[in-house]
Amino acid sequence: MTIRKAMVGYVESMVKKGLREDGRGFMNYRDICINTGKIPNAEGSAEVDIGYTKVLAGVKVGTGEPMKDKPDEGNLLTSAELLPLASEEYDVGPPSPEAIELARVVDRGIRAAGVIDTKSLFIEEGKVWEIFIDIYVLNYDGNLFDAGTIAASAALASARMPKYENGEVIREGNLGRLKTGNVVTSCTFAKLGSAVLLDPDGNEETAMDGRLTVANDENAVRAMQKGLSGSFSFGEIDKAIELSFERSKDLRKMIKNSAGE
Amino acid sequence: MGTIVVPGEVLERFNGRSDNVFFDGNKAYSKVLGIYDSERGMLTPLEGLWYPRMGDTVIGIVEEDKFNIYTVYLNAPYKGIAMSKFIEEPLAAGDIIEAVIKDIDRTKTAVLTRVRKLNGGKIISVKPSKIPRIMGHGDTMIKQLVQGTKCTLVVGLNGVIWISGGNYDLAAEAIFKIVEEAHTPGLTERVKELLEGKK
Amino acid sequence: MSGGTDKPELIVNGKRLDGRDMGDLRAVKIEAGTLKNADGSAYIEWGNNKILAAVYGPKEALPKHIADPERAVIRCRYSMAPFSSLEEHGRSGPNRRAIEISKVTKEVFEKVVVLEDFPGSKIDLFIEVLQSDGGTRAAGITAAAVAFASSGIPMLDLPYAVSVGKIGEHVVLDLNKIEDNYSDADMPVALGPRLNEVLLLQMDGSMSRQDISKGLEMVTRAGSVISQVQKAALKEPYEKVSSRYR
Repeated sequence: MTIRKAMVGYVESMVKKGLREDGRGFMNYRDICINTGKIPNAEGSAEVDIGYTKVLAGVKVGTGEPMKDKPDEGNLLTSAELLPLASEEYDVGPPSPEAIELARVVDRGIRAAGVIDTKSLFIEEGKVWEIFIDIYVLNYDGNLFDAGTIAASAALASARMPKYENGEVIREGNLGRLKTGNVVTSCTFAKLGSAVLLDPDGNEETAMDGRLTVANDENAVRAMQKGLSGSFSFGEIDKAIELSFERSKDLRKMIKNSAGE
Repeated sequence: MGTIVVPGEVLERFNGRSDNVFFDGNKAYSKVLGIYDSERGMLTPLEGLWYPRMGDTVIGIVEEDKFNIYTVYLNAPYKGIAMSKFIEEPLAAGDIIEAVIKDIDRTKTAVLTRVRKLNGGKIISVKPSKIPRIMGHGDTMIKQLVQGTKCTLVVGLNGVIWISGGNYDLAAEAIFKIVEEAHTPGLTERVKELLEGKK
Repeated sequence: MSGGTDKPELIVNGKRLDGRDMGDLRAVKIEAGTLKNADGSAYIEWGNNKILAAVYGPKEALPKHIADPERAVIRCRYSMAPFSSLEEHGRSGPNRRAIEISKVTKEVFEKVVVLEDFPGSKIDLFIEVLQSDGGTRAAGITAAAVAFASSGIPMLDLPYAVSVGKIGEHVVLDLNKIEDNYSDADMPVALGPRLNEVLLLQMDGSMSRQDISKGLEMVTRAGSVISQVQKAALKEPYEKVSSRYR
């Protein structure tokens, strides 16, 4: 039992009255803060705070073998860790299904939006660049999907690109930027009773019946994920997509600013 | 007033007794992060944990109902238990209750009495070491909070506070101000100003 | 530690590669209470190391079989982020090295935390290395001590740690990554400043009895600086608030 679980009834009764615990509107984000370059050892990094949620994304670039079915393309590998220091509800051990879902949803958005052109990561026959994105959850207070996607996007947008010379990877010195072709963001909605809320915090996520994440760039929806057993109507999904396009304008601007573009 | 001390720091001129102090040879040392007033030989912990004691009022959350005994989460390493036959209203997992500790058994489980279900309302948790300041000398601070916010407030010594009705946002703001500024003088006056909207 | 064939010159004109003298400590900065959810936490920047430490508890010991009816048990997990090093992407999760560090770190705190106050409970200590540059276990222990103290868990001492090592003829303090890779010896030490006794000691390489004694002296001297940084970090949040009303 945790205090979050005991707050479910309270959150539900507030939402019925059209209110949120912290006084926000249903379709408003908490304060978002993006800090790039916190981990200079990584080729790219970004720490993202959404309210009290704190996520750090690290990007490492290395070399490896291409996938058998795509011999002329590099690899993109995304992982997520719900670190035990982020919440008393997280435990040590192998990645939970929740962590794997988080990594895969972030990965799909980045891949589908063509943030990284994997064909440009080809080095020579049997050798390609590999981009590792690690999403480290440092403090949990809801909405890890948006924090993870924003952090990964900002880390990629600000990453440097090592060089490959005479069979060696050069990681230091005068390096250019990792080539990124797009910026993807996501908006996550919680279904709580008959209400739909953007950017659920930890208490709201404990109380929610369903969750919907819409990842998009300027032009199209690039990934979606409905989570938990609660359901969404066609109308609610359409509205979520409309709002996601609307809100993503600011998010993209923040990512580009943080990456110094 | 005093100076901030850390665990292992010498307390000059300490001559009383305290759970937060230990002796090595003839010297006294602090076990905790606290404020030490060397003139009065008094140590006040800034961060501290709650140890269940008989007579403590607590706020808990019902975890389960097993063979007519409720187990209760107390925001502490030790649980509470309450016999359902002494409680008028049936309880369910997730219910928030106020209770008094009647006894502490060998396993440090707190036996609860005078159990009362708290309906609606929101709970917040603070460091238990801040609770005395939230109450104030002779309950002055808590009375001021109730008057200024029109909220119903129930304070558990285990660091859990239940807030219902009235101006919740103002009550929470005032409580977090007290928590953050617990070690500073003139706090009662500043909280009064906050509640009166003068900031 | 490896005597590679292309071993770089680590000491040039009596100075180390980053300009330090033999007994110099890197810059150490600590912030207490960084993480909102943890009961106690600290963030440390030690040279280019960046490490988070968090304490949860004391709470009910689960699974039940780990509980000790006489005292609290401490669990510790030290782990390194896969992006923490300048080299290749690492594997996630603790490896054998990390598990050993977790064990010896836990043992440091078993000596100084008043475990008897919380029989049957457990306290979790998590140390996450976000960026590594040599000496992460020492920096992690130093940060963990601040995390413990900021949680209010009673302690008999506020331990710190730092490593010493040997480069050629020189006994040197606080090896960074490149020094660690090519040094002749590395010896991390944790001390309780009040107890004035050694809480963690490991050594690897080649050092004489005199070297070790000299190294321990260096540790103690550096320790007074590290202790000051720890104390300042613990006091800072309170003093910041107090100063508003002075």
